[in-house]
Amino acid sequence: MGIDIGKFLKNPEFEILITTYRDIFQVEALERDRFGEEYKKLSAVITMSKNDLQKTGFKSGDRVKLSNNNGTVVVEVKESKKNESGGLAFMVNSPWSNTLISGETDGKGIPEFKYIMARISLSKEEITPILDLIGAFHK
Amino acid sequence: MFTCTGCALLCEDIEAIIENNQIKEIRNACRRGAARMKGCANRLVSSIDQKPADIESCLKKAAEILRNAKSPMLFGLDNSTCEAQAKGIQLAKKTNAIIDDTSSFCQGLLIEKILQKKLRTCSLDDIRNKADVLVYWGSDAQDSQPRHLSRFSYFPRGESRQRGYEEDRLAIAIDVRESNTAKICKGHFYRIPLKGDKEFILALMEALSGKAPAYDTKNMLGLASILKKAQFGAIFVGIGLTYSIKNDFEILTALANMLPRFNIMPMVGHYNMRGFNEALFKETGFVNRVKFEGKVVNDNKFAVIEALKKKSIDALVVVGSDPVLSLPRSIISHLASIPVVCIDPCQTFTSRIATVNIPSAASGVESAGSAVRMDGKLIGIKKIIENNYMTDEDIMKRLMEAV
Repeated sequence: MGIDIGKFLKNPEFEILITTYRDIFQVEALERDRFGEEYKKLSAVITMSKNDLQKTGFKSGDRVKLSNNNGTVVVEVKESKKNESGGLAFMVNSPWSNTLISGETDGKGIPEFKYIMARISLSKEEITPILDLIGAFHK
Repeated sequence: MFTCTGCALLCEDIEAIIENNQIKEIRNACRRGAARMKGCANRLVSSIDQKPADIESCLKKAAEILRNAKSPMLFGLDNSTCEAQAKGIQLAKKTNAIIDDTSSFCQGLLIEKILQKKLRTCSLDDIRNKADVLVYWGSDAQDSQPRHLSRFSYFPRGESRQRGYEEDRLAIAIDVRESNTAKICKGHFYRIPLKGDKEFILALMEALSGKAPAYDTKNMLGLASILKKAQFGAIFVGIGLTYSIKNDFEILTALANMLPRFNIMPMVGHYNMRGFNEALFKETGFVNRVKFEGKVVNDNKFAVIEALKKKSIDALVVVGSDPVLSLPRSIISHLASIPVVCIDPCQTFTSRIATVNIPSAASGVESAGSAVRMDGKLIGIKKIIENNYMTDEDIMKRLMEAV
């Protein structure tokens, strides 16, 4: 068996623009149990257009790492069922999307919750557990 | 019939099937409302330093934290009754605290303009009875206020709109994505680029004044023509629009001035966020970001985001909110270095880091009172099941006595 060169290569990284939205099923899961698997399953997801999936080579079910100066999370990729032309990806509001949001507001007090620039690459890591996202703040 | 506290529509037609003083089933509510009223899986337990403690000790410790703080903040109260909000404002006043709520990074900008009467508005009942043109702008009501279209706007029959959506009403969506609400607005979905709302508004204003805008000329003239013909119109302003034009908010007023038969409706999520804004506005002239220090001071530096970022508060009391969930992660690190008091019916991400946790009754299920619907109408909230939890109002009152 030859050497798997692939494992030494860094996964290709792409720039991605993300906006956030609300989803009734995710909000329902939040009301029921914000520490539960259902909430994580519906939150730790990035939805991308078919065009963007073709460009990046990702497919539904892949795990991807999203990073920017504010933080890093691993989430699952889902293909959009809507008619989206591409260039914009979607995440529901949650601690996973909030990890990528800057605290800079020009002193106005309203962060850019709906405008996230990040880098995206394929990942073999597990979906970031919720307690990892809030763990740093435990006293 | 009971009132749902799932969102600021405050639906009053809820039926609850009770068995052994437990809610077995909720009828008529949407998924969000039913889930909220059935209750959470993880009830909050009273604790100090994350170790179980009796309620009296927790109240004593919370009062001590407030008393010792030089710059405390009271945050939340959007999921509390008007009665609890009034007590919360008095508590902030008594402790010279900063008081802020979720509207600070949500619809506060818009609600302030409405309360200042700088934007024309109407009731949801007016919309059900009279509205013929409905514009959902940066708002996916189907997912955030799921019964909005069926109870008040698009589908119902109204006094002047007997034929509802089939003939009498036209719904338009302006959004960056084809939301579930946009899907209903067939043939009238205007997709705009992220942060493209300002350019869209300016082009629409040109079209309304009879000029041919350079931006998407054909669609823009078509939309202007529909809006001009409306007899009674409503623009449902979602958070998507508010965020997009937050630095140029006056352009919404300018657009509204060109549409004299249209009313602006803030699409509010938390069931009594507008109640908080109205109560604080009545008391101080401001809807949020207020510091009491013998006098009332309103400043952006008292926004929860800025206060946490600049580490300018030394204690935080959170009522019915979960800032660790809803704020950018980069901002909330300051919470690790200050005492946090969490008052909530359920365990939250904030309760997991709180110094003191005080469980409260879930309003609309375990406690009664009143709340303000997204259109400003005061709605009664009933208690469904008997319980021993303290209400937010009781807790605010006890803290006020103890400090």
